[in-house]
Amino acid sequence: MTRALVAFPGRGAYTPSSLGSLVPEHPWVMRADDLRREAGRPALSELDGAGSFDPAVHLRPTNAWPLIFLAGLLDAERIADDHEVVAVVASSTGWYTALAAAGALPFDDALQLVGAMAAAAETPLPDGTRPADLIYPLADAAWMPDPELRRHIDEAVTTSDGELELALDLGAFAVLSGTSEAVEGAAGKLPPVDLADRAYPLRLGGGDAWHTSLRTAAVADAIAALPDLAWQRPNVAIVDGHGRRHTPFSSVPAAIAEHTLREQPVTTYDFATSLRVALREYAPDVILLPGPGSSLGAACAQLVVREGYRGVRSRADLEAAQRSANPILLSMRR
Amino acid sequence: MTWDRVAVVERQLDTFLASAEPAPRRLAPDEPIAAGAGLTAAIARALLEDQLVSRQLDVAARELKKTDRSFYTISSAGHENNAVVGARLRVDDPAFLHYRSGGFVMARARQLAGSTPAFDTLLGVVASSDDPIAQGRHKVWGSRAMWIPPQTSTIASHLPKAMGLAFSLARAKRLGVASGLPADAIVACTFGDASANHATAQAGINTARYAVRLGLPMPILFVCEDNDTGISVPTPSGWIAGSFGNLPHLRYVLAEGELDQVWDAVGEAVQHVRTTRQPAFLHLRTVRLWGHAGSDAEHGYRALAEIAEVESRDPLLRNARRLIETGAATPDELIELVRDTRQRIGSLAEEAARRPRLQTTDEVVAPMAPSHPERVRANATATVIDDDTRRRSFGGTLPEDATLPQARTLAGCINAALADELLRRPELLLFGEDVGRKGGVYHLTSGLQKRFGPARVFDTLLDETSILGIAQGAAHIGLLPVPEIQYLAYIHNALDQLRGEAASLQFFSSGQFRNPMVVRVAGLAYQKGFGGHFHNDNSIGALRDIPGLVLAVPSRGDDAARMLRGAIAMAAEDGRVVVFLEPIALYHEKDLYTDGDGGWLVDYPAPPSALLPGEVGLYGATESDADLLIVTYANGVRLSLQAARRLEEDHQLRARVMDLRWLNPLPLDAVRAHAAEVGNVLVVDEARATGGGIADAVVADLAERRVGRRLASVRAVDSFVPLGPATSAVLVGVDQIVASGVAAVGRRRSAQAARA
Repeated sequence: MTRALVAFPGRGAYTPSSLGSLVPEHPWVMRADDLRREAGRPALSELDGAGSFDPAVHLRPTNAWPLIFLAGLLDAERIADDHEVVAVVASSTGWYTALAAAGALPFDDALQLVGAMAAAAETPLPDGTRPADLIYPLADAAWMPDPELRRHIDEAVTTSDGELELALDLGAFAVLSGTSEAVEGAAGKLPPVDLADRAYPLRLGGGDAWHTSLRTAAVADAIAALPDLAWQRPNVAIVDGHGRRHTPFSSVPAAIAEHTLREQPVTTYDFATSLRVALREYAPDVILLPGPGSSLGAACAQLVVREGYRGVRSRADLEAAQRSANPILLSMRR
Repeated sequence: MTWDRVAVVERQLDTFLASAEPAPRRLAPDEPIAAGAGLTAAIARALLEDQLVSRQLDVAARELKKTDRSFYTISSAGHENNAVVGARLRVDDPAFLHYRSGGFVMARARQLAGSTPAFDTLLGVVASSDDPIAQGRHKVWGSRAMWIPPQTSTIASHLPKAMGLAFSLARAKRLGVASGLPADAIVACTFGDASANHATAQAGINTARYAVRLGLPMPILFVCEDNDTGISVPTPSGWIAGSFGNLPHLRYVLAEGELDQVWDAVGEAVQHVRTTRQPAFLHLRTVRLWGHAGSDAEHGYRALAEIAEVESRDPLLRNARRLIETGAATPDELIELVRDTRQRIGSLAEEAARRPRLQTTDEVVAPMAPSHPERVRANATATVIDDDTRRRSFGGTLPEDATLPQARTLAGCINAALADELLRRPELLLFGEDVGRKGGVYHLTSGLQKRFGPARVFDTLLDETSILGIAQGAAHIGLLPVPEIQYLAYIHNALDQLRGEAASLQFFSSGQFRNPMVVRVAGLAYQKGFGGHFHNDNSIGALRDIPGLVLAVPSRGDDAARMLRGAIAMAAEDGRVVVFLEPIALYHEKDLYTDGDGGWLVDYPAPPSALLPGEVGLYGATESDADLLIVTYANGVRLSLQAARRLEEDHQLRARVMDLRWLNPLPLDAVRAHAAEVGNVLVVDEARATGGGIADAVVADLAERRVGRRLASVRAVDSFVPLGPATSAVLVGVDQIVASGVAAVGRRRSAQAARA
C-alpha cells in the first residue's frame, strides 16, 4: 500500500474554476447547507452551483473558507483504498479541513469553527481599516531559494512599525499581511520580480490579515462566542502550522485546540516547515493534493526539491519524477 | 533458540500486547497514572511513543547494516527511560549526551516545533551529508536548536566540558556576556556505568564538587545510565551507588522501577539542580539489549539464559505493561502504535539511505579548520582602547614606553599583551593553576587578577583535564577562555580534552558549535639546567598531530605579543583552538650573544599590530647571496642567531635565520620561497629527533618538491630531558648548528672549487 501524505489547500484556493466542486446530494454537503441556512448564510451548494464566479461573493471568507473546507473534505473522502494516509498537513485555513479529515474535530464542530473564524476575518482591523495581503516569491525560476528575496521580506516586516507581518510561508512564496497602508507601502518598496509571467509583489484579492497579530482581538471574540468543541485525538498524524506533530497515540486534544484557536490564527503559518516535517518524519510515497484547485502543488513541488526528497534535487528532477509511473505529487483536481 | 536477539525482543513485546487485558477504566489525559504520582496519562503516552521510536531507530540501523547502508549500530535499546530525562529538562538546558540517548533526544525534540528527530538520527546512521549536525562525519546526537553539542566520546570525556559550561553560566551572567540561555538553565551530561570509572568522568564530577565547596554555582545533572556492563565486563554489584551515593557536595538520586517512579526521581534531581544550582548525580537504572554494538557477539561472553533474563527487563515491555494496567493505554492502541512506528521508521530508513554522502576531501574537512585571515585581522584590530584608558590600566606607563628590562622580555610582553586583550575583550577569561593570586609560576599573569578581578582571572584546582573542560564549557556560551597549562608535560595527561573534544567540535558539528580558546602552555627545554624532564619537556608531536589545532610558538617578546593577538583573534573569529606554547627558558632572557648585551630585549609593540599563521620572522642575511637558510623556532631562533654569527666570523658563511613562529599549520610557502632562493637549508628543531617535531615535515616537503640544493637538520636526541648540565648532552647546541651549517654549505663550495 502506498504511504500518502495529504496536503489541504487554504485561503485563496477557491477560484472560478472551482465552481461545481461539491456534490449537492452528498450527506456532508446537505448537512453543511442545513447548518448554514440555520445560521442565515447562503448554502454552500448554491454558491458552488452558481452560473458564474462573483468575487464579491465567492471570495468573502464566510463563503470561501467553508467552500474550501468542504471541497477539500470531499476530495479526501475519495482517496483510494490503495493509499494509506500516514500524515496530514494543510496550508493556512486548510488546517480546519485537516482537523476534520483527521478526526480531531467532528464535522459539525469543524464547520462551525471555520464559519466563526471566517467571520472574524471579515471584521475590520482594530484601527478600523481594511486588511490587505500581498504575495512575493522566495525562490528563483529554477526553484532555488534566494536569500536576497527572503531578506527583502524580513526588511519589509521589520520596517513596517508592526503593521505588516509574514502571514504564510510557503517556502517558494511568502504572503505578507497587514493594514492596507502597510501592504501598499511594502508593495512599493519590495524590488519587482518577474516570475512565470507574473509580476511580484502581487496584491491578493480579498485580503484578511489572517495569521497576524492584528487579528488577536477578533479571534478572541470569535472564540468567546464558540460553544465547546469536541476536540479529539486525530486518527492520523497531523502536522500543524508551526511544524508540530500531533499523533493519534500521544497528542493532547487540548494542545490541538490551543494551537487552532490561539496560535495559528495570529502567528505565521509555516507551511514550508510543516511539509518538511511531514516528508522527513513520515516518508510518504506520494503527496495527495485535494481541491479545490491545485494551487498548493507548486509550493509542494518546490519544497520537495528543497528537501531533496526521494533524490529529487532540482526542478528537472521533479518534472522527471512527475512523468514517471510513480509521481510524487498527485493533484486530485486537475 | 535464536541468536537474532532483535527479533526475540521485538516478539516478546508483540506477544505480551497480544495477550494483555485492558484496564477496567481508562484514564483521562491529565490523570496521574498512579495515586500520588506526578506522571499523567498523556505524558506517559508521549514517553512511550518516543521510546518506541528510539527502539525502532535501533532496529532500522541494524537492518540497514545488513545491506551495508548504515555504519553505526551502537544502540539505545534498553536505555529508553532516558526519555524521561529528555522530557524533564528544557530544550535550552545544554545536554552533552552519550551514544545511547535515542529516548532522550526524541523526548526533547517534542518540545521543539519543526524538529525531525527520527529522520535526523537515521541520516546520521547512514552517514549522509544531509545529516543536520555532523553532515556525515559521524553518527552523533547533536542539535544546535536543541542545545545538544555533539559528542563522539565513548569514555565520558565530555563530562569536564559539561562541568565547565555549568560553571560558566553564572560567570557569563556576572560579566554581562550573553550566553543565549535563561538564568535558570542547567547542564546535563549522560554516561554509562563503565564510563563512570574513567579519569575524565572522575575529574568532571570531582571538580563540580570542588566548586560547591568553594561556594560557586555548579548547576549540573550527571546522569549515569547504569546497565551493569561495560562491553563484556560486568560492573560489580552496587558499584555506582557505592561510589557516588554518599559523596559530599553531590546529591545522589536513584531512578528505577516503574515509569512513574522514574519520572518522579528524575524530576527530583532536575529540580534540585535547578533550584540550588548545585550538582546532582542521577543514577538511572537501565539494561543493555543486543550487545554493545551490532558487531558485538554477546553470546561469546554471556550465557543465553543471562541474555534472556536481561531481555525480560526490557523497559519498553515494562512501560507498556504499566500503561495498560493503569488504564493510560489499551493493548489495541499499543499494538497499532507499534505497527505504525515500525512501518514509519522503516520507510524513513529507506529514504535516509537514498540521501547523499560526503564525496570529496574538501567536503569532509570543510568545517575542521575555518580560516578567514582578513576577518581575523579585522577582529584583531577591531577595538582599539584609547591610550589614556590603557595608561590608567597599566599604572601610569604604557608598556610600549617601558624601559625596565623585565618589561621588555618575552614574559613582560606576554603579560602586557594579556592585559591589553583583557582590556578590549570583556568576554576573555584567564585561568589555571597559580594564575590568579600568585600571577603564574613565571609571573606571566602577574598583577592581572588585581587589575581585572577574580571573575576574569582566577586560580583553578590542580587538574589539567578540568582546566581544559572549563575552557570548553566557557567557550560554548560566548566566553573567550585563555587557560594556562603550567608545563608542557602536564598537557599530556589531559590531551584528549584537546584532541578528542575541543579540536573536533567544529568538525563533528559542521561548525554549528565551537569552543574557541587559546591555551597558553609553558614549555620546551633549556632552563639553564633546571627542572629535569617535566619542566623541560620538548615533545610537541602530540599537539602537531591534532587536526585543525593551531600551534603558535613565539621566540621573542614582540613576536609573542603580536602572535597572541593573532591567536586570540583566530579563536574569536574562526572559533579555532590555539595552543600558544611559550618557551620557558626565554621568558626572562635578556641577552642574545653575550651577557649584558640586552639583545633579546624588545620594545613592546603597541596594539593592534598582530601576526597570523604564515607570517614568519627573518633575521641575518636577507640578500640573495646568502649561503644558508636556517629554519627554526623558539629556543632554536636564539641559538641559530648565535650560530649565524659564528658562521660568519669563523667560516665566512652568511646565514639567513627564519623563525617559523607557527608550527601548525606550518608556513611552508615561506619556507619554500626562501629555500629556493638560498639553496642550502638547515632545519634546527629542538624537539627530539624521531618525535613529532617539525624537521621531518619541512625537509620532506622541500625534498618532495625538489626545492633547495642541500637539506640538513639538527634535532634533539631521542631521550627524556635529564637534570642538570647533562641536558646539553641531549639538546641541540650552537656548536652542532655551526658544524651542520658548515657541512651543508661546505660541500657545495668544495664541489664548486673542484669544478673550477
